[in-house]
Amino acid sequence: MATALVGIGRTSFSRRSGRTTRAMAVEACRAALADAGMAVADVDGMVCFQVGDSAHPGDVSYALGKDELAWSYSVYAGGNVVSDLIALASASIEAGLCRSVLVYRSLNGRSGHRLGSMEAPVQVPDDAQFDAPSGFLVPPQWFAMWARRHMHTYGTTSQDLGAIAVQQRTHAMANEHAIMKDPLTLDQYLQGRWINEPFRVFDCTYEIDAAVAVLVTSEAVAQSTRHKPVWLVGSGSSQSGSTWTAWDDQTAMYSRTAAPRLWNSTGLRPADMDVALMYDCFTYTVMATMEDYGFCGKGEVGDFYREGRATYGGDIVVNPHGGLLSEGYVHGLNHHYEAVLQLRGDAGVRQVPDARTALVTAGGGPYGGAVVYSADRP
Amino acid sequence: MSDFAALTPQPLPDPDTQDFWDSLGKGELGICRCQECSLWMHPPLERCRACAGAVAIESVSGAGTVVSFIVVRQPTVPGRLPPYVVATVELQEQRGLHLVAVLHAEPDAVHVGDRVQAEVVPLPGGDFRVPEFRPAP
Ligand SMILES: [Zn+2]
Repeated sequence: MATALVGIGRTSFSRRSGRTTRAMAVEACRAALADAGMAVADVDGMVCFQVGDSAHPGDVSYALGKDELAWSYSVYAGGNVVSDLIALASASIEAGLCRSVLVYRSLNGRSGHRLGSMEAPVQVPDDAQFDAPSGFLVPPQWFAMWARRHMHTYGTTSQDLGAIAVQQRTHAMANEHAIMKDPLTLDQYLQGRWINEPFRVFDCTYEIDAAVAVLVTSEAVAQSTRHKPVWLVGSGSSQSGSTWTAWDDQTAMYSRTAAPRLWNSTGLRPADMDVALMYDCFTYTVMATMEDYGFCGKGEVGDFYREGRATYGGDIVVNPHGGLLSEGYVHGLNHHYEAVLQLRGDAGVRQVPDARTALVTAGGGPYGGAVVYSADRP
Repeated sequence: MSDFAALTPQPLPDPDTQDFWDSLGKGELGICRCQECSLWMHPPLERCRACAGAVAIESVSGAGTVVSFIVVRQPTVPGRLPPYVVATVELQEQRGLHLVAVLHAEPDAVHVGDRVQAEVVPLPGGDFRVPEFRPAP
């Protein structure tokens, strides 16, 4: 049995929504259903991820007009689980638990709780208790720490990281929905203020208020939807309990094991991909995962970007929507929205010509995963 | 300044980690070590993750090498005034035995591979004592 993405929906992306995460999730879910030509009554499953900052499936489905769901799941987790949740929705459909699942993420990521900061005073439990004394507690520190090691090992430079930020901004300029559409030059990147060296402000994702929803269905349901289905070909994941500090090699991420798992299980290779939506909470996440997924060798990403190999006319178009860095941070679910647009051929001026396959990655550091989608039924 | 330092996040010990903090409280940097296979592990666990053997906190030299470091320039976490350096340090006792802590050094003078030495100092805002690093003498 195959499963497919048949509907996509989203709210506007803003710096201050003035709305509840439930209201935004409902809007995105309704939009995904309308996109698919389906009714609320046709949905019997719902799944989301959140870090205590969003509305649960029960609340969202009730506000949508449903009294109950046959299957639902809400996991406390970050962008590392997005691809797993798509795979889980698909597996639940294949297991007969449900037929149509809305996968959503809704967050007031800028006006509400910002993941890159923390409030005080706090008592820090669990493994992070060892990071509390040095205040080493937020992602823009963890990823910067790893990026520095990559610089040491492979001679990576700020210019290399900047090449990623600049390319993605260039892509975002052709995306009406992106929140950051002003041109960005390498000089402007280098003049950006420091956050945690070696990260400047342009190395970091742009936090926003938004919701995105995608609708996963069985093949039977997909037959009668409005657009061409986008098929799930396979997924690969690697979730480690290592701390950011205990991890043995900061120059490689979860993807060093997830990538071979994905390519082996699908029988595909990086060269088979037409578009790549690389999870980009930070520029360095793109760099390390591009290497691990096999698009280029270790330490070659800077040249890969400078030679135009990560954009139209190159090896593969990476993050044509501008990514989390420039379109905005919807915790990686907006990558799946973009993948569907591209594989339908509905991406307008930023359409990747003849796009038939897409890699969408999720997460970074010790944990993450990826899925492959295809315009053709697997 | 002192009000800001009082906002420093504090560790919340648990049964697996209490001995680690107690050791620091006595001025000793100790790391969890398996009493069967001699593996060092940090964070500490109730039993060894390699052989399930009993563990104990054993003192270490505090000598290590900088694996990587950041210079915190933006005050996203309260308690310390930027700029300051946070380093991942590999302790000399075992390959891959990492500790993250503040490194007291001029940001521009720090390099990956530098040899450093831990000292145990009071953590502002509470009663904890914690390891911090300085360049090795
Ligand atoms: Zn042992």
